[in-house]
Amino acid sequence: MGGKKKKKNVQETTTANEPIAVEEAVENNLRESLEEIKAYDGVIGYILRNSTSAAIDLKDPTKIIDYAILSSSALDASEILSEDFDLGNVNNIIVEGKNVKMLSLKVGANKVSVFMEKEVDCEKILKKIK
Amino acid sequence: MKVFQNGYSLNYHENRMEVKKMDNDVYSFALKTALNEIQNICPDIKKSLVFEEDGEIIAGGEDTSEKIIKRVRDSFNGIMEKADAIGSVEGIVLEGSKGRVNITGMNDLYLLTATSRNADMKYVNTVTRVLIPTILTLLEKINPAPLKNMSFEEAEEAEEAEETVVEETESEEALEPEALSPETPVNQLIIEDLGGLLVPSDTIRIDSEILSQWEDLYDGSEIEKVEVETFGGKTTQCKVKPIKDSKYKEKGIVRMPEKIQQDLEIKKGELVRIKPVVD
Repeated sequence: MGGKKKKKNVQETTTANEPIAVEEAVENNLRESLEEIKAYDGVIGYILRNSTSAAIDLKDPTKIIDYAILSSSALDASEILSEDFDLGNVNNIIVEGKNVKMLSLKVGANKVSVFMEKEVDCEKILKKIK
Repeated sequence: MKVFQNGYSLNYHENRMEVKKMDNDVYSFALKTALNEIQNICPDIKKSLVFEEDGEIIAGGEDTSEKIIKRVRDSFNGIMEKADAIGSVEGIVLEGSKGRVNITGMNDLYLLTATSRNADMKYVNTVTRVLIPTILTLLEKINPAPLKNMSFEEAEEAEEAEETVVEETESEEALEPEALSPETPVNQLIIEDLGGLLVPSDTIRIDSEILSQWEDLYDGSEIEKVEVETFGGKTTQCKVKPIKDSKYKEKGIVRMPEKIQQDLEIKKGELVRIKPVVD
């Protein structure tokens, strides 16, 4: 609950004059949500990055680079496919592999990817992030 | 039917290329028709494509431009190349504010469908996940050879190979003038059973039109024997006669006794290549 209070305080003080602080607040909220999501059954980890920073938390650290590259490729491909098929703004992309699936989306200036086992409900995670 | 003036070597390669091209065309055409029909019964599907794991496009529905095909191929390849970490890709769902793209793995291929935002996805999935696999299975049964659209690179390579063969053949011809003979034509036909008490077990039946074309090609020589080649590489020679039963005429069918089918380890519904044997 402490997180919510923090969000309120930051927004009250930054809306007009300090947009950078708002972005920070969004990022902080995202981090908190992702920490909660990481505790869900079947969730393997997440990658959160923006133009200035990145946070990666994966159960298997040997896969950090592979997952990061896949996350980036999927988000790039989603932009291209969305343009080609006139899908409007990209909400999210889910790439399902044989072992793991990945949910990627943009939240403001932040790019988020959550990695999970195939049985995990993506909708629940999406609701939590948004 | 084309008559080539070059030697057998060139004719053989051109035959193989034509057969391959025909395989590809038949496969692509069948899939393209299926995709168009799916779009007709399911107007929520705006675009559709079938492609291989390497991004090679097999068929696209109507209104799917070359530009889109290329960009889909590039985007998909971009994901596939990095997907080892999660196992190979089984499916992709892209949600946009105005619609969605679904890429679903089926057999060794991927089906892409682009649908509007309000599409009934249960209906779309029911249609696509039943129809396309059924058609793929059918095509696989009819023609088990490797099937895909010939890419530009492959086409160029094939052309280069053909040119090399032409050069080699031309030099061979200078030394061996007897190599000059009409091209041996090859027809691909679907097997249909031929049975009955008075049916000889060593004779197949094909369209009289094909026999006439072959006879014209060989200056009126009567074609009494043919060579049958399966896609598994087995061959046999047998006698040939025209199809009598009108319901089998002009349908690309070869009626074949059970014994020959057993010898060649093939069965009704499969494709074989047939060419005349001229003494």
